[in-house]
Amino acid sequence: MTARPSAFGSTAPRKDAKLKVTGAARYTADVTLPGMLHAKVLRSPHAHARLVTVDARRAREVPGVHAVLTRDDLGGLDAVFGYFIKDQPIVATDRVRHVGDPVAAVAAESEAAALEALALIDVEYEVLDAVPDVDAALAEGAAELFPGDKPRGVVPPYGAGASAELWPRPNVCYEFRYETGSEDVWERCDHVFEDTFVFSRMNHFHLEPFVTVADARGDRIEVWSSTQNPFPLRKEIARVFRVEESSVRVNVPFVGGGFGAKHNCKTEPVAILLSKLTGRPVRHCLTTEEGFLTLSQHAAVLRVRTGLLADGTFLARESEVLLDAGAYTDGSPLVAEKAGYRIPGPYRWEHVRSSCACVMTSTTPAGPFRGFGATQATWASESQIDMIARRLGMDPYDLRVKNLRALGEPFMPGESGIDSDLVEGLDLVAAELGYHGRGSAPNRGMGLAIGFKDGGGVNKPAQARVKVNATGQVFVSTGAVEIGQGISTALCLVAAEVLGVPPERVSYAPVSTDTSPFDQGTNASSGMTVMGRAVQLAAEQARDRVLEFAAGHLGCEPADLELADWGVRLKETVHPLPPMVAAVFGGTGYEFSGDGFFKAPNSHEAPLEAPCVFWEIGWAGAEVEVDPETGAVTVLKLVASGDVGRAANKLVVRGQEEGAALMGYGQALFEEMRYEDGVLVNGEALDYRVPMAEDLPASFVSVSQEQGHGPGPFGSKGAGEGTMVPIAAAIANAVQDATGARVTTLPLTPERVFRALREATSPAV
Amino acid sequence: MSADRAAAHRITVDVEVDGRRRREEVPANTVLLDLLRDRMGNTGVKASCERGVCGACTTLIDGVPTASCSVFAFSVDGCSVETVAGQAEAGEPGPVQRAFAECGGFQCGYCTPGMVMLTTALLREHPEPTEEQVREWISSNICRCTGYRMIIDSVHRAAELIREEA
Repeated sequence: MTARPSAFGSTAPRKDAKLKVTGAARYTADVTLPGMLHAKVLRSPHAHARLVTVDARRAREVPGVHAVLTRDDLGGLDAVFGYFIKDQPIVATDRVRHVGDPVAAVAAESEAAALEALALIDVEYEVLDAVPDVDAALAEGAAELFPGDKPRGVVPPYGAGASAELWPRPNVCYEFRYETGSEDVWERCDHVFEDTFVFSRMNHFHLEPFVTVADARGDRIEVWSSTQNPFPLRKEIARVFRVEESSVRVNVPFVGGGFGAKHNCKTEPVAILLSKLTGRPVRHCLTTEEGFLTLSQHAAVLRVRTGLLADGTFLARESEVLLDAGAYTDGSPLVAEKAGYRIPGPYRWEHVRSSCACVMTSTTPAGPFRGFGATQATWASESQIDMIARRLGMDPYDLRVKNLRALGEPFMPGESGIDSDLVEGLDLVAAELGYHGRGSAPNRGMGLAIGFKDGGGVNKPAQARVKVNATGQVFVSTGAVEIGQGISTALCLVAAEVLGVPPERVSYAPVSTDTSPFDQGTNASSGMTVMGRAVQLAAEQARDRVLEFAAGHLGCEPADLELADWGVRLKETVHPLPPMVAAVFGGTGYEFSGDGFFKAPNSHEAPLEAPCVFWEIGWAGAEVEVDPETGAVTVLKLVASGDVGRAANKLVVRGQEEGAALMGYGQALFEEMRYEDGVLVNGEALDYRVPMAEDLPASFVSVSQEQGHGPGPFGSKGAGEGTMVPIAAAIANAVQDATGARVTTLPLTPERVFRALREATSPAV
Repeated sequence: MSADRAAAHRITVDVEVDGRRRREEVPANTVLLDLLRDRMGNTGVKASCERGVCGACTTLIDGVPTASCSVFAFSVDGCSVETVAGQAEAGEPGPVQRAFAECGGFQCGYCTPGMVMLTTALLREHPEPTEEQVREWISSNICRCTGYRMIIDSVHRAAELIREEA
């Protein structure tokens, strides 16, 4: 092999840099069509009520109004949507289940006219008992959000030790269970500890709102949408509107942030139906306030019971997680599966038993959120490890290292091996923090935690196409959506590396379901390890076709040739390709193309029916100072580290790791959707606090690891979620190190910390 | 007043946008954000919270960074408005924009036009800003993606580029 500059591992600006810094990047929010109308939705003011009458006659008379959509307009449609469970109506039909539940919608010449019409829709409700949280929903005799016949749903196939059940008890739509090893080990445990943790919920707060422009005139439905999964969205739209998928086209411009929120139907069904009713294109763009009523992270209550030997060897862990799924199931069953599966953490156990239930409450529906159940699970799991270490008089670092699984060791029987050296990462973070030499200044302390999730997703087929024109310009086309994570840059670098061309010669095609190769979705940090493999295979096929062509032309074997900057090297001579292509295909040109397909193989031996593609690990360390007078926690230093195996672009990786860590930091200290008496009281930008630059810890360090064991192209792994996952536990662990006080409920507000300090210092009663 | 009546009352706004004089007749209740995006097609100015909190729509009004969602169009009559579109020179990114590209001070890009304008104003007032000044200024806009460190790096780099080109 001849040495040539490697495209992979670049520090060059991202492919989308120029468009984004100049403001030229086009998002769905910027799309307009001639004659376009604007949609607005009437939302329920009640958490739970029966819908008695909906009268839109007065609204239809408002100047500029073209149509009002109510439950009477759903004829001929399969008008409920959802992931595993089809339970969410386009507009309410018989009852509303949370404040903000859509009841009717208007299409008008302007948003102002639409809003004026909404105020004239007369709705009569019969208010029912609300079930504002998990405890209320599970209480004896609680009101049921879905009484009687349950919405239809499916349980996907599971492998060894895993199972799930739909609607196992009132207000529980799905329960995932996992068990391995004999429960007899509990008898051998010298210590058994049981603790309960509470996890608060956040809003995704993507800056580009949920937005769709739909044109459903004629026989086709064409949408431009801010979505992370265009192909499943196409399938769902086709099902709901009872048309073939070939009649639906989903176009995805740049997406202004997703963080998990932008999956499946959100603003699309209302926009499409109003477009059908009016014969005009319709834009449906939610406000930030409406976003708070559309989707959130899952709040959770997590009970963890851990048994171990006197020397600190872990034996058994049993856990019970209750996720607050909100009023509709959305992605909750999938989140439950992941939270329930991941809660043992990357440690050796002889016995694990876990269950995770999705509890329906009369609040904003919860769904996918960066971390996807792992943030909840790790909050409990990694907090309890520190609590146990302190009860046993051990250093939490030592207790972790004693029990961590080794590189290559399967997470659970039938699983893939863990593809990061966990101790290596922990040592890096501990060293950066100065953990081992930490002093004992009053009210100052340090904590560590390891975030852990199976990345890459299961059952994720990904296809890619790479084509190269006569002059060596490369076009990469996939269904992976650029939502800010840098996937377009990373995939272009994979193709550049395989084809031996400079990265600036590679471009990424806009995503549109009619023309882009199929993909399951942009989620689960799967871009590099799943789609990256498909792009690599496609580029290799394109390369092989170029080499076969050139070998035929030069009268040699393809194996004698190597691509070099759009020429072929035969022994010491480089033959430029453009004249060869022109000689054979003429001056008009030609494109070599390759297709790639990747899907991790299924296995019934693996608990989730397919071995995990890669393990996304986030290591974190925090140094804090706690004010004993106020309970205020100041994070003096935050260290976050992920292992991307090998970085395609170092700027992209650093940005993903720091952004995810700061999201975890907000969750740890202050960011939460606050409900009082079942009502969301801070569902708007002014009252809902996300981290700002002024909130940054005095020292915030990210350490990107490239351990090189990843299954993606050139040893890469995924990124973007791992460093969010351990932050809250690392900070709570540092607070305990500083003060001896333990907070088990997020966020770590001064009030909670202050109470915990009082409990820790007052004598036990 | 109903939306209809407000729309019926139209006013004329005489404003300079990115160095070009514009005269627009708009309903009295039009905000600057809508004037720029809907009337002038300047979609580089981003709409997000529309409550003057997130700063995605930040423009400079007579040099002062302002959330254009929270300013009526009539109030910029006679003013100069600078937007992200005016930061490029002959189609090529200006120094602040190049710094954000080079340092990776963006991800989804939705806050970026506002951050670029905020940085432009900051560096006019403090050509060599301290870390503290950068954090304080940048704290008026929200970025949900980056964790801010790479934005702060971008601001310092922009200061260098502007000095080098002075």
